[in-house]
Amino acid sequence: MGGYIGNLALFFSLIFNVFLIFSLVKGIRSNNFKNLRTINFFNNSIFLLLLISFLTLIYCFIVSDFSNVAVYQNSHTTKPLIYKISGAWGNHEGSMVLFILILSLFSFVFFRTKVSEKLRVYTVFFQSILILIFLIFLILTSNPFDQMDPRPSQGLGLNPILQDPLLAIHPPFLYFGYVGFSLVFSFALAGLVTNNFDKSWSKIANFWIILPWSLLTIGIGLGSFWAYYELGWGGYWFWDPVENASLMPWLAATALIHSNIVTLKKDTLHSWTALLSIFTFIMSLLGTFLVRSGVLNSVHAFANDPYRGVYILSAILFITFFSLAIFIIKSPKKVLYGKYSFFLRDNFILINNCFLIFFLSVVLVGTVYPIILDAISGKSISVGPIYYHTILAPFLFVFLFFMSHGPLLSWNKEDKFLQIKNFKIFFLISIMISSVIIFWFFDYKDIILILGLFFSAYLITSVIFDWFSQKKLSLNFGRLVSHLGFGTLIFAIFINAYLSKEINAAMKVGDEIKIQDFIIKFKSINKIKKENYEEVFGNFLVTNKDKQVELTPSIRKYDQPIQFTSETSIKTNFIVDYYFAINLSEFEKDKIMVRFYYKPLMFWIWLSILLIAFGGIYQTFKLRNE
Amino acid sequence: MNNKYKIIILGITVVIIFVLFLRVLNSNKTYQPNQMIGKKIPEFILEDLFNKNTRLDSKVFSDKDFAVLNIWASWCIPCRIEHPFLMDFRDKNQINIIGLNYKDESVNAKNFLKKYGNPYSLIGVDKKGEVAIQLGAYGVPETYVLKKGKIIFKHIGPLNEDAVNKILELKK
Repeated sequence: MGGYIGNLALFFSLIFNVFLIFSLVKGIRSNNFKNLRTINFFNNSIFLLLLISFLTLIYCFIVSDFSNVAVYQNSHTTKPLIYKISGAWGNHEGSMVLFILILSLFSFVFFRTKVSEKLRVYTVFFQSILILIFLIFLILTSNPFDQMDPRPSQGLGLNPILQDPLLAIHPPFLYFGYVGFSLVFSFALAGLVTNNFDKSWSKIANFWIILPWSLLTIGIGLGSFWAYYELGWGGYWFWDPVENASLMPWLAATALIHSNIVTLKKDTLHSWTALLSIFTFIMSLLGTFLVRSGVLNSVHAFANDPYRGVYILSAILFITFFSLAIFIIKSPKKVLYGKYSFFLRDNFILINNCFLIFFLSVVLVGTVYPIILDAISGKSISVGPIYYHTILAPFLFVFLFFMSHGPLLSWNKEDKFLQIKNFKIFFLISIMISSVIIFWFFDYKDIILILGLFFSAYLITSVIFDWFSQKKLSLNFGRLVSHLGFGTLIFAIFINAYLSKEINAAMKVGDEIKIQDFIIKFKSINKIKKENYEEVFGNFLVTNKDKQVELTPSIRKYDQPIQFTSETSIKTNFIVDYYFAINLSEFEKDKIMVRFYYKPLMFWIWLSILLIAFGGIYQTFKLRNE
Repeated sequence: MNNKYKIIILGITVVIIFVLFLRVLNSNKTYQPNQMIGKKIPEFILEDLFNKNTRLDSKVFSDKDFAVLNIWASWCIPCRIEHPFLMDFRDKNQINIIGLNYKDESVNAKNFLKKYGNPYSLIGVDKKGEVAIQLGAYGVPETYVLKKGKIIFKHIGPLNEDAVNKILELKK
């Protein structure tokens, strides 16, 4: 029954969307927008219908309606309620419904703003084209309300590794970010088509760029945090294609935020801002394609429909072609450059925009090239962290330098003298900080480490300097917090990368091993039976110099489906994480494989990501109030 | 440069990207499972779906000159499309089809066969999907043709006219 309503709502939203497009075209042709009320009606109805459809899907999951294929494949009656609910978007079909719902939500909210009628109508027009494309995709190839007959009595269960409270909220954040960029995409096309791409466009766009950017930042952070404590490999970022898929739109959007500020303040860089607006959403679509088409996890993509990939590929390239064609034809031609001088804020922003695009290209090549090479020549190459670190690190330093000075420069007046004075102060402070750290903690001197610490300290110093030299009234709090967060992030990443320690061993109860500065004692083992899994805990005592930490990692055996997962045990404080994970050993039956990690400054990595996101959220609230 | 040329270049780029990724999409389907073609079927022993005392032993295939193995599940929609083909195929050609019930609940599987008919002479229950992975299966449904225990052909996805003809040719 629930499935029936959901399906009907989905179908009607498609019909209404066609009506909406017709009424938008009518409004655009008549050029007087008399039918705004009709447009508004259809726009609202589509959102409402999609919301109903999504809620009924959640309902199907809650009541375990196994006649629904998506529910059958991803749920089970013994699952806790929260995972029944999150199961609704933890699978392909459900997540596509969420994708479309967010497209429509942004369209719904945007049409109610005070933007000029013309821009609103055009924006909603492009947005509804996107909704149409993805609705057809959903209904044709991945309908979440497909029915099964006879109705199975029990479901297959949700992958235990996905049964995690963080992972329940991670995809919605990521999707709000990804899909949120659709609005600035549509808005950019609207601005281009109506020749309204100017300062006032930027002023409105600012909000619609920073909002999804902040949410995406949180989404990436949550995903990274989940990988850290759930996967049990001690890492927080693996340069995995799925992670890269979310990083690429983030980099593009970061470039967009800054170029849009230049457009807003100096009325230049119109074409570049427009191009980035389009490009950011294309990167989101590329991410969706990589994750959703089965290209990446082909081996495990059981019962995957081969047409899905082809459709989504065609759809994305269709969107890419037409949006870029519109850009080519209508790109703003006016150039309003003043006299060029190096020490201007817009110049520094432009330089760092180039760096961001470079970082993006590195990630793009690293993600897509192996896939294509494999398909064409059958050769498999692995592109791992070494590739990214080697290529990105040297440029990151220069990037940090420009990032430190950019905000201190004036938009119009060049003041070399002041900058040289600033440079001296920052240089002295950061050389002190970084050399103290290096001589205190490190036995060896690595040039990349030294530069990493130096430049991140440089950025932090400059932000603090900026904070106290700004006038209280015009304090750009959002930017300061985000930049500070970025500085501490890079600082923590470098310390973490060079000071982390890892110990692997096979142990049985009573064993004690001594490696590096650590003594690890395997004290005891105990078993617990829970509702949907059995858990075996190992009790370990780690001694590091005079510090003692007790850790209790475990292995869980889930019933539905039968699967083993390794649960980590992490003791954390501001300075360092003690991280423990255990696995069953395949070779030595009486022993357990233990992995111990010593991870410094993890807390600061998470805090920095929060700071970056918080700066963005603060800014969106400020912009909303304006 | 003229806008027209820019758009033509853009169009060409988009088409090239399309072709490249289309190859990616297609290649994933063929290269992984092909590894098993020409190789002996992996060893396994599974319980039969209907009779707990009967076992499906992979050695059965070594004795047979010709055997067809079909991986299916009651929850798989394409299997439902395939089902009439299988029934028809068995009736017309007197070929025994051996089933491999993939990651399924026994009750659901039995109901499914009750409703749509049972084309299989024996059904191995592969509850965890381990045998399917050993076989290099890409998804459900999938059909394998074996000669003296050696995999000589496989078809991914629901059977169709072409695949059936190919299998019949192999039988000769």
